[in-house]
Amino acid sequence: MSRTYLDWAATAPPSPEALEEYLRAAREYPGNPSSLHAEGSAARTALEDARARLAGLLGCRPGRVVFTSGGTEADGLPLLALLRRPSPGSVVISSIEHPAVFEQAAVLERLGWKVRRVDPGPDGRVAPGAVVDACGPDTVLAAVMAVNNETGAVQPLSEIRLALDEASRGGRRIRFHTDAVQAFGKVPFEPESLGADSAALSAHKIRGPRGVGALYLRTPIEPLAAGGGQEGGIRSGTENLAGILAFERAAAAAIRDLGENRRRARVLSDRLLDHIRAIPDVRPVPECRKAGDERYSPWILGLSLPGLAGETAVRILSDAGYDVSTGSACSSSRRKRRVLEAMGVPEALAFCAIRVSLGPTTTESEIDGFAEALRDAYLRYRT
Amino acid sequence: MDTLYLIKPGELELKTGNLREFESRLRKDIERRLEGRARVDIRPGRFFLRVPEGLEERAERVLSRVPGIVGYARALTCGKTMPEIGELALRVAREGREAGHSTFKVEARRADKGFPLDSYGLARELGGLILENVPGLSVDVKKPEFTVFVEVRERAYVHGAIRKGQKGLPSGSAGKGLLLLSGGIDSPVAGYLMAKRGLSLEAVYFNAYPYTSREAWEKVRDLAGIVARYAGNLVLHTLSFTDIQMEIKRGAPVECSTLFLRAAMVRAAHLLAAEIGANSLVTGESLGQVASQTAENIRFSQARTDLPIFRPLIGVDKEDTMRMAREIGSYEISILPYEDCCVLFSPEHPILRSRPDREGPIYESLGLDRLIEEAVRTRETLPVPFSV
Repeated sequence: MSRTYLDWAATAPPSPEALEEYLRAAREYPGNPSSLHAEGSAARTALEDARARLAGLLGCRPGRVVFTSGGTEADGLPLLALLRRPSPGSVVISSIEHPAVFEQAAVLERLGWKVRRVDPGPDGRVAPGAVVDACGPDTVLAAVMAVNNETGAVQPLSEIRLALDEASRGGRRIRFHTDAVQAFGKVPFEPESLGADSAALSAHKIRGPRGVGALYLRTPIEPLAAGGGQEGGIRSGTENLAGILAFERAAAAAIRDLGENRRRARVLSDRLLDHIRAIPDVRPVPECRKAGDERYSPWILGLSLPGLAGETAVRILSDAGYDVSTGSACSSSRRKRRVLEAMGVPEALAFCAIRVSLGPTTTESEIDGFAEALRDAYLRYRT
Repeated sequence: MDTLYLIKPGELELKTGNLREFESRLRKDIERRLEGRARVDIRPGRFFLRVPEGLEERAERVLSRVPGIVGYARALTCGKTMPEIGELALRVAREGREAGHSTFKVEARRADKGFPLDSYGLARELGGLILENVPGLSVDVKKPEFTVFVEVRERAYVHGAIRKGQKGLPSGSAGKGLLLLSGGIDSPVAGYLMAKRGLSLEAVYFNAYPYTSREAWEKVRDLAGIVARYAGNLVLHTLSFTDIQMEIKRGAPVECSTLFLRAAMVRAAHLLAAEIGANSLVTGESLGQVASQTAENIRFSQARTDLPIFRPLIGVDKEDTMRMAREIGSYEISILPYEDCCVLFSPEHPILRSRPDREGPIYESLGLDRLIEEAVRTRETLPVPFSV
């Protein structure tokens, strides 16, 4: 049985170019970039070239790119850096953040920080005004993700940044962090014009290797973890050079093809939306999502199958050769559907939700086949 | 050198009629669990197990789990002369002292009436010897910290602490039972308790894949492994009940779905029992614990079989069941979070007091027999070897 992979938001199969680059870099640069000898300096040059190229893709200076071990670490760095402050303040996050931000904020909370969580509207989008309303005089950081990993809802980041500036005029500027793991290389994402202070990126969501990511960092932070002082002291530890070079290669391809891929993804996700609307009772999450709606990433589509538990649907579809998930892979074993609940999706629908996520190699016939398998599964197994 | 274990079989003295059969079952069970690498000798009221070096740990685990044993002890043996017996008694006494004890007594039993000292005289003599030779020990016949046991039979046997066995009756002496095993806390404990009453067991699991996960099945398989530690080898039958569950959902009033599912399970178990030669069913039901476990609803499912259904937990508090589950090692597996029955099938307000004249005909009208027979016929069978 051939398998169709529709869980690209969990992880994307690495591209042949990225794998090739990884292997080449691992062979070609055996030295430690911090070493003074010739091998070290060759590695250093390769590292800085990759940084410059990635910065070019982001439209920023190379000094603003910090390589990390992945998206979670890139999210954690600016949040944990707050602990270097002399006294706790407050942070504002959206209640639909990935655990990398949501759980990290909970750790701050246990250490005396106030955390305010802002619910999105029923459309899965966080209103700029609601973020501002949650901020107080002691708020030092606000974090809202760029694209939600369960619904694909694109968050109004520029508006949130503007509203924050407006609100804090005259007072202390509030740092703005965004988890852009589901955005970078998939939808237009420009941290500079957005005015984000930091943004988390991941390689393996855009066909790079796992274990590598980056933190876009416009305004400096004091990191909590210390070590050899690599990456400007922000992220110590010997650089994952081969991973970084492969990441840059994957990012370059993703940005190069972004326009065309995104158009294709839009066509495919709209097609899938049409298919599922033809199955009685099955609906998108959020329900208001329509074909062609630019407020949602074309790569991610949330669905609810009333009367068929999401977990059960995933099993049936997997047996039929289609890999989808119940939500974020990091929490798919848990019962709670935190993100959907925050949107006000009734529990009965949230329980029956699945996430379909597409990639650049997804084809029309795969989408058609999937829709048919979904229809069969639903009609046979719904209770 | 071989290690010798003295075993006190349980309740066998009650069974004068078929004592030999019971003894032979217990002997074979122990030998089988030690893969034939150790031999059991049957003596009146005592078994002796001779274990080759390296197998002691396994042997002790087997002896602490096999049904039909009240207690066992590592024993020393020698000829029937006082100097030899005295030497072994001193060895056991010194071990007791080294373990930090300071009071002891000697319990002697003279089975060989030809031995010059009687039980009392033997105990007194050895007690005196120990007092003289092991400093720091004193006698306390009422509450000693440890006891030196001496038995003079065909040879003399000396041992210290008696470790507890499971008691009960040898496996298979009560025939074979079919355990309805779910992923919950109760059914493994029920299986364990009935295994101790001499039932050998096979188990049946009603699988609702894809509504339940592969992990849920693996959990049941692991629970079967725990039960098998006590029951000995066990066969796990997995019946696909998905179609039956869906048929019930389709055709039955929603409040009856659990009741009817339970009835269908008992019916399937009844058919399976006939095929595998089981004389009884075993369930983990406890009166009033959940909606399907009212007297009325138990009657309803009971009506699907004329086999006795053993429910050893019927009068047991959940807390006590949980304690037993911890003791046998099933608890940690049972509380793993995989659903064993999809919540979408469970009615919010299930019927509590079913009546045969009211719900019986509705159940019959569903015509589940064909699906149930098919589930039994297409079952998957997995031998679950006991683990040590």
